[in-house]
Amino acid sequence: MPQQTPSRVSPSDQPARQHSRRSILKFGSLAGAGLIFAPVLANCAGPKSATSTSTGGAAAAGGALSIVLNRNLVSLDNKLNQYDAAVTVQRAVREALTRIGDKLTPELVLAESFEQTKPTVWTVKLRDDIHYSDKSKVTVEDVETALKLYFEVKAGYVASQFPEQPTFTKVDDRTFTLTTKNPVVSLNSLMSNILITPAKDNKPEELGTGLGTGPFTIASADSGTGTYRLVRNANYWGTPAKLEEVNVSYQEEEGARVIAITSGQTDVIDTITPESAASLKTNSDIDVIETPGTRLIHLFYNFRKPASSPLANPKVREALSYAIDHQSLIKALMNGQVTSAEGVVPTTLAGFAKTGDYVYDAAKAKQMLADNGAAGLKVRIIWEDSEFAGASRVLEAVSQMFAAVGVTAELKMIPKGGEINAWRRGEAGDWDILANGYGNQTGLALTNLQGQYGGTAEKEKTRDTYHGFVFPDITALLDQAAAESDEAKRTDLLKQAQEKIWAQWPAVWAWTPNNVLAKRKRVQSLNLRATNSYDLAAVTVSG
Amino acid sequence: MTTSTSAPRSPNLSEVPGSILGRDSAVNKVLLRRSAAARRARYSTIKIWVGAICAGVVIIPVVLANVLPLPDPIVGQLSDSALPPFSPGHLLGTDPNGRDLLSRILHGGQTSLVIGMLAIFVSGLFGIVAGAAAGYFGGWVDTFISRLLEAQMALPLLLMLLLVVALFGPSIPVITLVIAFAQWPEPARITRALVLVEREKPYVAAARVLGLRKFSILRRHVVPNILQQVLVVVLLLLAQAVLLESALSFLGAGVQRPYPTWGGIISDGRELFVTGKPWLVTVPGVAIAMLVVGVNLVGDGLRDRVRRAKGDQA
Repeated sequence: MPQQTPSRVSPSDQPARQHSRRSILKFGSLAGAGLIFAPVLANCAGPKSATSTSTGGAAAAGGALSIVLNRNLVSLDNKLNQYDAAVTVQRAVREALTRIGDKLTPELVLAESFEQTKPTVWTVKLRDDIHYSDKSKVTVEDVETALKLYFEVKAGYVASQFPEQPTFTKVDDRTFTLTTKNPVVSLNSLMSNILITPAKDNKPEELGTGLGTGPFTIASADSGTGTYRLVRNANYWGTPAKLEEVNVSYQEEEGARVIAITSGQTDVIDTITPESAASLKTNSDIDVIETPGTRLIHLFYNFRKPASSPLANPKVREALSYAIDHQSLIKALMNGQVTSAEGVVPTTLAGFAKTGDYVYDAAKAKQMLADNGAAGLKVRIIWEDSEFAGASRVLEAVSQMFAAVGVTAELKMIPKGGEINAWRRGEAGDWDILANGYGNQTGLALTNLQGQYGGTAEKEKTRDTYHGFVFPDITALLDQAAAESDEAKRTDLLKQAQEKIWAQWPAVWAWTPNNVLAKRKRVQSLNLRATNSYDLAAVTVSG
Repeated sequence: MTTSTSAPRSPNLSEVPGSILGRDSAVNKVLLRRSAAARRARYSTIKIWVGAICAGVVIIPVVLANVLPLPDPIVGQLSDSALPPFSPGHLLGTDPNGRDLLSRILHGGQTSLVIGMLAIFVSGLFGIVAGAAAGYFGGWVDTFISRLLEAQMALPLLLMLLLVVALFGPSIPVITLVIAFAQWPEPARITRALVLVEREKPYVAAARVLGLRKFSILRRHVVPNILQQVLVVVLLLLAQAVLLESALSFLGAGVQRPYPTWGGIISDGRELFVTGKPWLVTVPGVAIAMLVVGVNLVGDGLRDRVRRAKGDQA
């Protein structure tokens, strides 16, 4: 039987390579990945159109407005939580007896009259036509309860601005008096922060829902996510709001907020950084509004340092001020959107007195430090994350400027979440300079001055002063000014106080940022005030 | 009678029915090249080379950062704020503080790599010791270490790291130890599994019969036999350590300012990304990606080789 001999098969003689299972699987995987990722990549390629969003493209009668805040609006009440932009939304639902108007002066809202009838007595009469969104009347008891609860809430921001708690006395169904031990000339301004709620619904805590007298009512609220839907109050006692609906949310990431407005997902973003403002100005669909602000940001010294510390010497504090090249900082890191302070409060506030300018002179700084035995000084600068726009960049630049005059700066950023309060009180650790912002919602310099520089030994025992700033002569001048009903005399007292404060060199440098808000062009009649808020009822949308 | 005692003739295998000797094999070079084993070998070589190039492109300049003519990574000129890449004197541009981005990335890379290397050294050492002890001694030692491993692996890693850094403060030793602590379960588990296999092998029994103490057997015989495979796993942890360090820095829990870190540079640049300054995020992002991909590829390639070598031995 002939044996069959296997013959060598040359590669060229092999059959053409078939598609293997592996190659089919590879192709299938690629095709599948393409199908899955193509839509995702397409979405990433550019912003979504306005028509794909729920509110941005809404053009119903009256229209809907979408606002994205930079901080979580924890409640529609301000007992604990009142940063600038929140005021806009909070006052759309709840109103006060007065408000701070465009000229930073108090204007009547729920009050028909608010007069200082005696040095220590203010008489207030409520309007006859005011009522809540359910048409129930606003009573004198509601005001009494509201005022009382603002002082009952622990660590209240608003109550701390009052020199003392006024005593409430009902006169009749619409009239009451507010009496203080010492004259408080700015009580009508301070009362603009006391938002009125029905007494039975009010509590010594923040209120997320409930009735108000404002032009909008709360349709839905989620304080956890900071998402609120407000609808027009059909029963509003005043001129009805132009908008039908307002949707409020928050987004901490600046970049995400910029994308939200450029893509049409939102209509308004507030408190934006100089870099974002510069970028948005080039967008033809967006208006950037800037107004001078009332918020003071400063690099404040720790006045709780022992007498042996070099920083207890005002000359050393002054020397460090000369190390700061603020013009370069303003130009490079703040896009020219801030104003270097010319005193100890913002120039926009009533009662401001110019006390001096911050000057950059590194050679003088070096010399003064050496003369006062502070050469080679080491300081620790602390700040809370995102306390102000570009905080980390600014403070890194400051540390470089300190290094140029032989001062070593240690930078410590405190994460958000409340720990900064322990640091400020000196309980979490020692520090030398705090970068901090101080807002103002009354338009009065007196409010800032008393809050920051009116410290007493009594308050310092509980660490309730502004970082240990306790100078009895300054406090006495401020108390006199607060009690002085003659405006000229009050202004003079405030000027004296501000000069004395400036002489202490309380801050390395201070500045006032402009309020910067971006809106889509379809949003109109948005009048941004110096207090970084606006009247939501007057806003309209088109298209 | 003459008896011849010639050696038995070995059969010619080519003449044995069914033998393939003497004939050409059907398995030719082309088929061999296409075989799964050959493909794996090629892939592992490619992985190692590509990985080495990717990692080298990042690691070599980072290591040489101190000798390269680079500007100070901490001090900048505000007049040079946010210059784009290829600006005069600044190859990769500058950050808003006017600091050279290339210098910051390379010096930041030193921080990341030092932390990564130290972390994998500590975690590798601890993991090998704990895993070897658990695998070889068994009993309560194994129970204790295994439960410890499982307990730690059940914890959310990043949250735990943030908590520890918040408690002890962000510094290089703390971050290194935190990352090492987070990573020791991986080498420990691998080591334990390998030792469990090795301890049943005859050479261990032989060593025991010869009178060697348990600890000596483990140290002199067992561990050297598994070290190669474990080290590959430890190398792979470098990429994870660098990513963890960057994540911590990104979240503000890394090395404090003004010292640069990759995560910190990206964190600072993210809000400028949409304002027309994407290089502040993309360039350090690419550096991290290249290093991580490179190290992973090298590790993968080496692991494939180790497997093959072990397979060949068997």
